[in-house]
Amino acid sequence: MRQLRLYLEFSRKAFQRSAAYRFDAWTRLFSNVIFLFMWGFIWFALYSGKGDVEGVSFESMLSYIVVSQMLQGVHGAGTPLWEIQERVRTGDIAMEMMRPYDYPTRSLFSDFGNIAFHFLTAVLPLYVVLFALFDLQIPTSMSQWILFLLSAVLGYLIRYSVELTFGLLTFWLMETGGVEDIFYFSISLFSGSVIPLWFFPDWLETLAYFLPFQGIFFVPNSIFVGQLTGQALIEAMLMQGIWLVVSYVILRWVWSRAALKIVVQGG
Amino acid sequence: MSFSSWVRGTRLYFHMVAASIRAQMQYRYGFFMNILGWAMSYAGTAVTMWVMLYSFQSLEGWSFWQLIFLFALAVLSWGVCVIFFFHFRSLDQYILNGTFDRFLVRPIHPFFHFMAMKFDVGAFGQLLFSIAAVTLAYIQLGLDWPFWKWGVFTSAVIGGTLIQGGILVLISAIAFWTTRSERFYWVVMFPAKSMMNYPLSLYPRAIQWVVTFILPFAFVNYLPALLLLDKPHPSFSSYWGAFSFAVGLVFFSICYQIWMMGLNRYKSAGS
Amino acid sequence: MGIIDVNHLSKQYFIAKRQEGMWGAVRSLFHREYITKTAVEDVSFSIEAGEMVGYIGPNGAGKSTTIKMLTGILVPSAGDVTVGGLVPYRERQKNARQIGVVFGQRSQLWWDLPTIESFELLKQVYAISDQQYRKNMDTFTEILRLDEFYQTPVRQLSLGQRMRADIAASLLHDPAILFLDEPTIGLDVVAKERMRTFIQEMNQERGITVILTTHDMADIERLCKRMILIDQGRVMYDGGLSKIRDRFGKSRILIVDLEKDTQLQVQGAELIRSEGNRKWLRFNREEITAAQLIQQVSIQADIQDLSLEEPEIDSIIRQMYEEGLSVG
Repeated sequence: MRQLRLYLEFSRKAFQRSAAYRFDAWTRLFSNVIFLFMWGFIWFALYSGKGDVEGVSFESMLSYIVVSQMLQGVHGAGTPLWEIQERVRTGDIAMEMMRPYDYPTRSLFSDFGNIAFHFLTAVLPLYVVLFALFDLQIPTSMSQWILFLLSAVLGYLIRYSVELTFGLLTFWLMETGGVEDIFYFSISLFSGSVIPLWFFPDWLETLAYFLPFQGIFFVPNSIFVGQLTGQALIEAMLMQGIWLVVSYVILRWVWSRAALKIVVQGG
Repeated sequence: MSFSSWVRGTRLYFHMVAASIRAQMQYRYGFFMNILGWAMSYAGTAVTMWVMLYSFQSLEGWSFWQLIFLFALAVLSWGVCVIFFFHFRSLDQYILNGTFDRFLVRPIHPFFHFMAMKFDVGAFGQLLFSIAAVTLAYIQLGLDWPFWKWGVFTSAVIGGTLIQGGILVLISAIAFWTTRSERFYWVVMFPAKSMMNYPLSLYPRAIQWVVTFILPFAFVNYLPALLLLDKPHPSFSSYWGAFSFAVGLVFFSICYQIWMMGLNRYKSAGS
Repeated sequence: MGIIDVNHLSKQYFIAKRQEGMWGAVRSLFHREYITKTAVEDVSFSIEAGEMVGYIGPNGAGKSTTIKMLTGILVPSAGDVTVGGLVPYRERQKNARQIGVVFGQRSQLWWDLPTIESFELLKQVYAISDQQYRKNMDTFTEILRLDEFYQTPVRQLSLGQRMRADIAASLLHDPAILFLDEPTIGLDVVAKERMRTFIQEMNQERGITVILTTHDMADIERLCKRMILIDQGRVMYDGGLSKIRDRFGKSRILIVDLEKDTQLQVQGAELIRSEGNRKWLRFNREEITAAQLIQQVSIQADIQDLSLEEPEIDSIIRQMYEEGLSVG
């Protein structure tokens, strides 16, 4: 309990810090909107002259892109990969290891603070307006809302575990250019952030199902636009849960190795 | 400037470039990973395009290989541009930590000095990807350009370098007034550049105008690609694509002037 | 006419006022209000060739701003500057050839390259002849022991090594004038001493004019016959060290350790500091002798230990500020 209070304190601090740097939050939103705009027009053009493609209407697809971009806006307020790498290189993380708390948890709670601020003051107002303005498809029942939120949170935690794991690899690699690009590519394609998995060629779709990334955006997005229901939904969320456990276990393992390395070699 | 000072300047540039390459070679593994990383991240976008067109066949009348050509043309000139100008985006860092002053206590032109500070070899990754992609697209599309089209292509690469370099110079100039620049790159130029990877005709007319007449991104890849792939322009003559080099030259010199104005403002206001 | 002439030099900055609140931030994108801050105000001095001058003052006094105007980095708001007959901001590149600059806190060398490569690049930048380059490198290597870290990238140098490299780099093109901005900041005692010896040698043997800003009064005492004291943008004093010492140097400080903490009542001295049993008493040696003072104290409390402190320049300057007196 006291531990939780401590971590919540980090959330509060991060929230205040975000408020102080709110200009940064808005500029981030600006680029988020440009990308939304871009993908909106791309999908509009792809669908022009077509009805449903693979059983999906343009309205559903547009909602998919908007909610996806919204979630990406939320994820974007967390600590980005390059910053984790920077913290490893400068020794900040090594320093934190001496403190009486668990760094991965503390960092997660700090991100919660940042996200809370960014979401409440920037993402939410903007996207409420967008959904209302374009009369987009939103969940029709309370249970759909709850499942979407739950799935989005699971997705966030998966991304957090994977991203921090990738970031911690910096302890072993002097230069991380390649690692970074593998991460960004995977997260942009296999997560279904801009192209839903149902438009993938079958073999690629199968591959994507066996990667953790689809749990980050594709599952919550699909629930949101009502493409994922019943049995399939349960399965997908179960899969998310499994991936969260797996990625968390990997994170803890990499973390303990990193901690060992710091203790032995001093970072 | 006299001939001898040009010779000296050129020699100096090569010395500094060689030093910059050696500095990057210090991290040998990183040197290659950086190149590989850039190449891979662009290949990633190409894969995304392929997946996108798998179910939809074409985008605004552009087939997959045409789209790849459009994209790779932008990456090609961006690659050259990165080599020379990418570090301009972080001028704010130099100003904030005071290291910019060193460019002002040496007997060489500050713009030139700053430009020569870094020669980004990571961009060889972009070149690697884009040359391979352009070549593949050329073959897949069964193109057979006459001599003048190679001229248009060359002009697009040089012009594209100057246009995108100009925008980086412009972004860095903002730092002289606001002590911020890198952020503008990520918030404005990076998304804008991403938009230009797709046919311009996707976007509303107002945007098409802005990127044709104000920030001439259209001359980087879209307009030359129309001409090179024999596609009609929705409202202008497709020969507009032949003017990339001229547009680039004019745009870059305007951006350079603004940078120098910024430098003067820095000299009178400090940071 | 000196090698450096500064006449009625002023510099004002315009600082954007921070707007409060969310709307303020948006508004400030379009419209900003400025406040004027005067960094340097009506400063005049002249420095002869071969002089070594300490330019000192507290943080934010305008030292760096003045140096930046002398090196051509900043354009003055008013007044004239000439350096070696040139107006620095108008003929910046020409001026750059006749000056060397060292900013103590930031290296001017190429961060990721072996140190020797920075020297080779500077040879190109300043178009230094092979002969001149070799001659200077030999000299500097001998005095500053640069060969210890020739092949080490600058980022891996210790602060002392980096400063040695930086000062050598600034002298490679045989400048007539050397600007040193905090050249000994952060160095240990040995490194400081080595740096001072080198600066002194360059001044005496090569006749290089040196302008030095520093926080460390030992630098000034050791190196400079003349100092220019600046505060809030204005020159407070310009002259020899001895004059200041005569004017303010009559005071001594008696430090006593008492058996137990006692309220001291002493005449002819002032209690300037008190930390438990230890007391600092400042007195004027023309009004009262140390012996008399000790006697006064010993009546009131048992003295365990005592020492006398000679005035140092920094305490003199502190005193000048406290008393707001101008000698100049």
